[in-house]
Amino acid sequence: MTGRMTNRVPDWIGGRDDPWPWHIYPVNRRVGQGAPIKHALELIANASKLPADGSKPDSERNPNPLGGELTGDASAGAEGPLCRFLVLLQPARAPPGEPSPSPPLLSRHQALPRLSPPRPTPLRRLPAASVTEIAGESATGKTQLCLQLALLAPQSPLSASSLFLHSDLPFPLHRLRRLAPKILDHVLVAAAHSPTDLLSLLARAQRLLANPGRSPHRLPIRLILLDSIASLFRADFDASPADLRRRSALFFQISAKLKELAYRHQCVVVVTNQVVDVVERDAGNTVAWSSGRSVSPALGITWANCVNTRLFLTREVDGDGASGSARRRMKVAFAPHLPERSCEFVIRRDGIFGVEPAER
Amino acid sequence: MLSDEQSQKHITTGSGDLNDILGGGIHCKEVTEIGGVPGVGKTQLGIQLAINVQIPVEYGGLGGKAVYIDTEGSFMVERVYQIAEGCIRDILEHFPHNHEKSSSGKKQLQPEHFLADIYYFRICSYTEQIAVINYLEKFLGEHKDVRIVIIDSVTFHFRQDFEDLALRTRVLSGLSLKLMKIAKTYNLAVVLLNQVTTKFTEGSFQLTLALGDSWSHSCTNRLILYWNGNERYAHLDKSPSLPVASAPYAVTDKGIRDAFPIFHCFTICGHIKIVPRLRMEATAESMECCLLST
Repeated sequence: MTGRMTNRVPDWIGGRDDPWPWHIYPVNRRVGQGAPIKHALELIANASKLPADGSKPDSERNPNPLGGELTGDASAGAEGPLCRFLVLLQPARAPPGEPSPSPPLLSRHQALPRLSPPRPTPLRRLPAASVTEIAGESATGKTQLCLQLALLAPQSPLSASSLFLHSDLPFPLHRLRRLAPKILDHVLVAAAHSPTDLLSLLARAQRLLANPGRSPHRLPIRLILLDSIASLFRADFDASPADLRRRSALFFQISAKLKELAYRHQCVVVVTNQVVDVVERDAGNTVAWSSGRSVSPALGITWANCVNTRLFLTREVDGDGASGSARRRMKVAFAPHLPERSCEFVIRRDGIFGVEPAER
Repeated sequence: MLSDEQSQKHITTGSGDLNDILGGGIHCKEVTEIGGVPGVGKTQLGIQLAINVQIPVEYGGLGGKAVYIDTEGSFMVERVYQIAEGCIRDILEHFPHNHEKSSSGKKQLQPEHFLADIYYFRICSYTEQIAVINYLEKFLGEHKDVRIVIIDSVTFHFRQDFEDLALRTRVLSGLSLKLMKIAKTYNLAVVLLNQVTTKFTEGSFQLTLALGDSWSHSCTNRLILYWNGNERYAHLDKSPSLPVASAPYAVTDKGIRDAFPIFHCFTICGHIKIVPRLRMEATAESMECCLLST
């Protein structure tokens, strides 16, 4: 498929005649006439301008640089077979973390074992049917955590595919590849450009979750990841009271939609959030100390009311900047089922691992 | 009427200090609103009340069932199980002789029975919320042993975009009237959990309960939970018969208990008083300061 590379998303995407429910960056403008898009992989890699194999993102040279297979046929019904995003990778080793066996009363809360061991028990599981927020500065590991969860989902007792909605463009494909070298197809990716965009995506996700029976070999979607709710609200909103009210109304709409999806289909929903500096102590919001400054999750107390669980990732650098090693902690800011605890973790090439609080 | 009022039952909150400022606990036949910042323990208090209402009569409780209407999805069964276990353990500690007399009573004190007596409704939109509250009357006619109705975040679905604010006010006041009527007719306590929002007044942002001034008339009692440094405090803001007061409390793995423990003390109808209690008379300014400057 030849053509110019462009990052412009054509208008028909998201429109009523969109045969492919997920946003895909077109390489060829010709595609914009409603033709089904092939080689979704390559398109996303190109649009993200990432070297797929360490080589140039040249679509002419290698039509499918990542060597993935596009399954999903080209016939499009109204809700079509989805154009799946397929590069996904198997984790380097089978995830060993099993959740603790739950008594039968609790079986409706499907737990997702989050990380490879060792990990203190209370933080090990993310509850279904509720919204968990992971807040932290940049480069504290939020996206890494989300990617790892998406990869672990099929093997966990949740046994699910995941839906990754990202608003920080581009989708971190190279990180995903580094986490696991092989190819899986259990992650659906879509990009959201604005809050209203996200709402329409969630409406489609609802239809998708309600009609799962397309391809029998694919696991149902039980994990929804939203990378960076904060970057959705960065533009377009001034500080005037009317805009603030509009922003708050959107928070509640988005959160209500996510919670409804989570409850009706027993999904685990994870949302990432950024932080802002705290100038004076705000009465309501959690404040933490990270990288030598007081930070608080973005979007204020209104968004804090919209999530059920909040996890805070902080980073402390011991020693001087370059030579010191970062100590990373994950803290439970509030949760209905967890006490306020924190634990340490490290980010390694093959994933995020907890650190056993050593026998101190 | 006087004898009615004197025989009014209270539902213990699990913390002696809180019970004191509330005049024994949450009152039946009245609507209580509890508001606070996220993470301060509103849902925990709601779950604790849903468990405590089931304490059998021979241990000083009401022996009733609970209706829990969840709009936010914070009702975690594991946590309810944990709180039920904690409650039962404390009951058995403080009343060791009672259940020897009635061996059947001990069989009832299982966490599963406590869980089974909570009627749980999960609603996902404001229309469902209105529908459930309309349905409640019929439901309560059939289940006469319900003694508490808890609505977790009565405000969550109403904070979305309502084009017509007057309509929202009408709907909300209709809801609150229905709830008051239910409380009186069926002799139960109604507990509404509310969120806080920032209000821009006089050039600065202040924390205030959501849904505006018109909603503040809808409840009989109002309890505000806030952080004071690292501790949780509850402030009784509005009550027909009790003075304004504050008291500390703690959220432990067993649920809501007294803060400042020498022992974490589980108080049922004021029989057991081990821990010296603090009572602070809070003025409006000091509470504001507490809210604005954690």
